[in-house]
Amino acid sequence: MASSSSSGLTFKLHPLVILNISDHYTRIKAQSQPPPTSSAADDAVSSQPPPRVFGCVIGVQCGRTVEIFNSFELLYDPSTHTLDRAFLEKKQELYKKVFPHFYVLGWYSTGGDAQESDMHIHKALMEINESPVYVLLNPSINHAQKDLPITIYESELHVIDGIPQLIFVQSSYIIETVEAERISVDHVAHLKPSDGSSAATQLAAHLTGIHSAIKMLNSRIRVLHHYLLAMQKGDLPCQNSLLRQVSSLLRRLPAIESEKFQDDFLMEYNDTLLITYLAMFTNCSSTMNEMVDKFNTAYDRHSRRGGRSAFI
Amino acid sequence: MDPFSSAAIARQTWELENNIVTTTAANDNSAASDAIFYYDGAAQDAFQQEKPWANDPHYFKRVKVSALALLKMVVHARSGGNIEVMGLMQGKTDGDTIIVMDAFALPVEGTETRVNAQADAYEYMVDYSQTNRQAGRLENVVGWYHSHPGYGCWLSGIDVSTQMLNQQYQEPFLAVVIDPTRTVSAGKVEIGAFRTYPDGYKPPDEPVSEYQTIPLNKIEDFGVHCKQYYALDITYFKSSLDCELLDLLWNKYWVNTLSSSPLLGNGDYVAGQISDLAEKLEHAENQLSHSRFGPLIAPAQKKKEVRKTITFASFIT
Repeated sequence: MASSSSSGLTFKLHPLVILNISDHYTRIKAQSQPPPTSSAADDAVSSQPPPRVFGCVIGVQCGRTVEIFNSFELLYDPSTHTLDRAFLEKKQELYKKVFPHFYVLGWYSTGGDAQESDMHIHKALMEINESPVYVLLNPSINHAQKDLPITIYESELHVIDGIPQLIFVQSSYIIETVEAERISVDHVAHLKPSDGSSAATQLAAHLTGIHSAIKMLNSRIRVLHHYLLAMQKGDLPCQNSLLRQVSSLLRRLPAIESEKFQDDFLMEYNDTLLITYLAMFTNCSSTMNEMVDKFNTAYDRHSRRGGRSAFI
Repeated sequence: MDPFSSAAIARQTWELENNIVTTTAANDNSAASDAIFYYDGAAQDAFQQEKPWANDPHYFKRVKVSALALLKMVVHARSGGNIEVMGLMQGKTDGDTIIVMDAFALPVEGTETRVNAQADAYEYMVDYSQTNRQAGRLENVVGWYHSHPGYGCWLSGIDVSTQMLNQQYQEPFLAVVIDPTRTVSAGKVEIGAFRTYPDGYKPPDEPVSEYQTIPLNKIEDFGVHCKQYYALDITYFKSSLDCELLDLLWNKYWVNTLSSSPLLGNGDYVAGQISDLAEKLEHAENQLSHSRFGPLIAPAQKKKEVRKTITFASFIT
């Protein structure tokens, strides 16, 4: 049911949406299956398939780029396979007050794969937004997989067996973060100590982050390198499109060479060095001040303790 | 993948050395870890009836914030730019811990007349809580948060009076302050959770918590009220699914980590801090010339300020 999308829209997904959906799912699951300490008859309960949750995603669409910022829950009626429309509108109003720029972009759900009944919901949402997106999160935790278990589907009109039908097609997406989002996601992901705010731990944390990112870059480059070597040796069939992409990437390095950039960069660099110098100066003078105080205390001639001076 | 495992080992060693108390959620991957998400209405009601906080102003000591709530609050605070924004938090209590499960923004912009703004927000709050309850979020409002862009996490005079009012009528209630500017510039979330002491209560002398630089124009407001409230310890938790997703998410946003440059984002803020520090030094100098004992008091504070600027400088380079 899912093939590659050809609509040419680029999708940007914010981590907030991912966490929202995950939280919604965990909540509903926890409420339907009370914690293990409460009763002994839980084994039967926990073998039920996890419930599906539904909700709406909102965001901004500028031209060909669809950016999904936030999401909220919706009520689902399993008997008629429809979403509660009145509820959606009420919630939408509330969110409009706080985030006036966001529009309903589509809906989300959890599960393994897109299902037939989902098309009903999709069509219902087409009344609000002409081409809604469907974000599907797969909540089954699979430690082997390296990719996010999230797929974005669009609907396209395809002619199958002579009948034009709407089917779901998969689209690719990129993760987009605002700086603040990235920091808080990073913070929670690594559960750093919240009260270790001294300079040393802060710097260490910052450097650890950069270090992991560089390691990641290194490993990715190495993978590419091996791939190219294998292609050269003839182990793998030559893929010209990939080779074109790699060569265009390499031709873009060094990234910026112009003179204006050098000027700006050196100016910023000088500013930072200046500030560091200033900070060092202040620190020096303060240490000096301290030393003078200590000196005065140790060798104080007007001491009230009758001339007793402490030598250390 | 080889680099992955050595990175994981390095991280674990670091975590061990720094005594990171990961909540059981991170280590346990059984259903017990997600138990925190279960809302036991009956137990919460019983707790409300009991009111153990009525006798002990220092009753609540810790706060557990969910990953989702933190993300929402930080993003909302940052989206306000230099304007204070506020919102409410939903959650529950657990012994001496207040657990914050979710947060939502309120459609009001904070000014010094924030007490009036709360009246507007009540309707929004009621609507939102009702719809949320229908959608499966059963928790009650358990606190409020607002942002102090650029001037640190503490309660101002108005904040203290608002919170005292809240603690009289809406217990249990928590006040959280977020500084989005410092978060972005320091690369670490600046957040503080507070509860006020009731009027007339004399708190036992506690050691001053971690020092933070506060701009000169706000420092009086800070000093006058800083003894009227106490800070609570904040820890974070996330569900097993969250853990999984966040780990995988790292594969995608490592590029953003590398490409983020604190310099460009915060040039104005850093310049502001430096000029503020210069003002404070002048202030201290004036004090020095007025009194003989000035030099004894001023340098201690100056030292800490200076230390902070050095960490700043080390970041931006």
